[in-house]
Amino acid sequence: MLWERIKGGMRLSALDALASKAGLSVGQNLSDARALVPDLLVFEHDADFTAHVFSDFADWHSNASPVVAVDDTMAPYGDLILDITGVAHLFGGEDKMLATLTSRLRALGYSTHGAIADTVGAAWAFAHFEPGRIVPEDELEASLGDLPVHALRLTETQVAGLNQMGLKSVGQLYGRDRKALQARFGASLVLRLDQALGAIEERVTPRLPIAEHHAERRFAGPIGYLDDVLMTVRDLAIQLGIRLGAEALGAQSFHLFLYRVDHKVMTLSVNAARATRDPSHIAQLFVNRSERLEGEYDAGFGIDMIRLAAGSLSPTPDVQVGAFEIDDGAEDLARLYDRMTSRLGPLAVVRSKPVDTHIPERAVKLEPVVARTPDDPSALVDLPVRPLRLLPNPEPVEVIAEVPHGPPLRMVWRRVSYRVLKASGPERIEAEWWRTSQKLGLLTAPTVGEAEIAPQDHPDPTKKPVKSEPLAQHVSKLEEFDPEITVRDYYVVEDDAGRRFWVFRVGLYGASRPPGWYLHGFFA
Amino acid sequence: MSRPKPDLEALRAQIAALEKRPVLADGAALLTKQKQGDEDELLGLLKAPPGLLHEIFADEHRQSGTALGFTLGLAGSLLGQNRQALIYLQLSAEGQEIGLPYGLGFQNFGLTPDTLVIGRIGTMPELLWALEEAIACRAVAAVIVDLASHPKALDFTVSRRISLRAAAAGTSAFLIRYGKGREASAARLRWHVKPGVSAGQPFDASAPGNPRFAIEIEKLRLGQESGQLRQTEQHHLIVDWTENGFVSVDTKKRPLAPLRRPAPPSRPQPAALGDRLSEAS
Repeated sequence: MLWERIKGGMRLSALDALASKAGLSVGQNLSDARALVPDLLVFEHDADFTAHVFSDFADWHSNASPVVAVDDTMAPYGDLILDITGVAHLFGGEDKMLATLTSRLRALGYSTHGAIADTVGAAWAFAHFEPGRIVPEDELEASLGDLPVHALRLTETQVAGLNQMGLKSVGQLYGRDRKALQARFGASLVLRLDQALGAIEERVTPRLPIAEHHAERRFAGPIGYLDDVLMTVRDLAIQLGIRLGAEALGAQSFHLFLYRVDHKVMTLSVNAARATRDPSHIAQLFVNRSERLEGEYDAGFGIDMIRLAAGSLSPTPDVQVGAFEIDDGAEDLARLYDRMTSRLGPLAVVRSKPVDTHIPERAVKLEPVVARTPDDPSALVDLPVRPLRLLPNPEPVEVIAEVPHGPPLRMVWRRVSYRVLKASGPERIEAEWWRTSQKLGLLTAPTVGEAEIAPQDHPDPTKKPVKSEPLAQHVSKLEEFDPEITVRDYYVVEDDAGRRFWVFRVGLYGASRPPGWYLHGFFA
Repeated sequence: MSRPKPDLEALRAQIAALEKRPVLADGAALLTKQKQGDEDELLGLLKAPPGLLHEIFADEHRQSGTALGFTLGLAGSLLGQNRQALIYLQLSAEGQEIGLPYGLGFQNFGLTPDTLVIGRIGTMPELLWALEEAIACRAVAAVIVDLASHPKALDFTVSRRISLRAAAAGTSAFLIRYGKGREASAARLRWHVKPGVSAGQPFDASAPGNPRFAIEIEKLRLGQESGQLRQTEQHHLIVDWTENGFVSVDTKKRPLAPLRRPAPPSRPQPAALGDRLSEAS
């Protein structure tokens, strides 16, 4: 037995058969119920949790029909809608399908009622008040008419009002003046009536995206091993590939749904860099993805159905490489990126994309190779010489330099002293004033933040800055745009052994705050 | 008993087939062709044929830029119409220590920022997996692995495996390593690279000029010429990277006056940085 807090009181919200026999009812005060039945076993009802579990449970039903929705008009959980258009024959008819679905749930210990009707409203009504019925289209109006008005998914006050007026069954509402009904009981009554009768279409929002193309396999007995799953995926990928090939389509995303016996669905998704329908490639992507699962895989009591669905479809005709075209291997490359990404994660395999800005760390964006965006034509290409490597976080150096704009003469970095023989610069890079309000919250934040707080926070400049400082900490300490502290002067310096570094100075000599020197990159 | 030469070649091919590696005729030919001078021979090696495992050693982490520049110079010559990508693999934890490759800097090495795909990988087994996958791809020109540490996972067996894979696929692999120690490895070539004091700019002697590398070849196993180089005195070379690739620099004559040597004339030199203020602000 469950209770929940309704309007400040602890009231019963759900009972089992034993409790109703003892004379308790839903909505009763918990203390009253305790007085009636002293050895009552009650638990608090966690509605969110139930709704969550129920939606998982709903997902699992997508093994019966692709369109599964939770009807939350009356309660956040409890009502499951399946669109069985074109599905029933797989179960041997509507009656058999209904029997299969409800009995398999009963076998698991749930109490279920089901009905099949042409509209969502009518199906709800019959499932709640005449369970087990399958209402053909022509009988819908008559059969619905015999049901009580409760069956229309109305609120308690609407039902009470209708009963007061002597309108007890749905049939009594037929042919009444709609305007009067609407004025008295609200627009929802007319809406629900129309929905139940099919005069107004009621949309069902499916819980899972509907895949136009999928392949699935059911198992006589549940399977558990990951290897078995992957072997099945290989077979399904072949089926799916043939289906896609028949329509000259390719897909970029693939979703694998594993339906567990205990009503959970596991999903695995992989993306491809370019549309494909090659079964071995698809299967390989899932094999790689599964190696990244690291114990997330839990077959529970077994998996009894596997579905492989294709998404992001695009026309991919079979092409013949022309006699004069050169096969540049771009496809092989895309597949390599797919494989690497599926195993290592999308952020691990990146390319450098130039961005239109002068701030060095922002001028190149590392972009996943599988999610390639078009290049920015205004990105700067004709820049002064840039280093081959950049440190993700510039490191402070201790520098002896000519005041005010001379390059460093000596510097200490990572506790090693360098004597600078050659230098060029400065190249002055200013903060971008148009980012004034947000500039420090962006990529530059750790850099500039470090730069500004370093003199106080790191009295020993050779000490490496703490890399994992939270961003927010910098942002809060930063001030508004100030040219004196955000301007950077970059120098290319070469020491006596020929090592070349890219160092910069933040701030100016003679300003209110002493400037700080940082090492940002290495040249060849 | 002396066999005629064609038989020897055939035998060599058979052995190569047994060992699952290409005959490496290119490498051998390359060496025999350039026997005139040792220096030229070394310079020719800088355009080594594809399908080899190279090791590039730098002494310290702070020379990581030098090592990467030299490697890009080697790997860039392998790019072609059918092989348009370079893959760079790094352990993600080592990014701050040795720095991340910076796309805008590749231009000086004749590469677009796009050419080099960077893999930042969490663990050594995954890195090795990615390395083998990338080598097997026929559209990859070269795979560059940058390792700041000395992981146990990379032992002789693994390097032999990489070497065979590289030979089979015709994709070169470059292992950038740091430190003075040398572990046993099946690499065909081992380079030791150090930065050199550059010649300065033609108009500004006090500005850093073209990248200069002091290279030494420590190991060479190319077909029948294996080990030949060890007997020669000269296996050091100083090269500049110019727009025409590596150019040998003769510092023996005037080691202390590199400035007299004019920089390559046609190269568009990076402008002095100060006059770009209007653009930079």
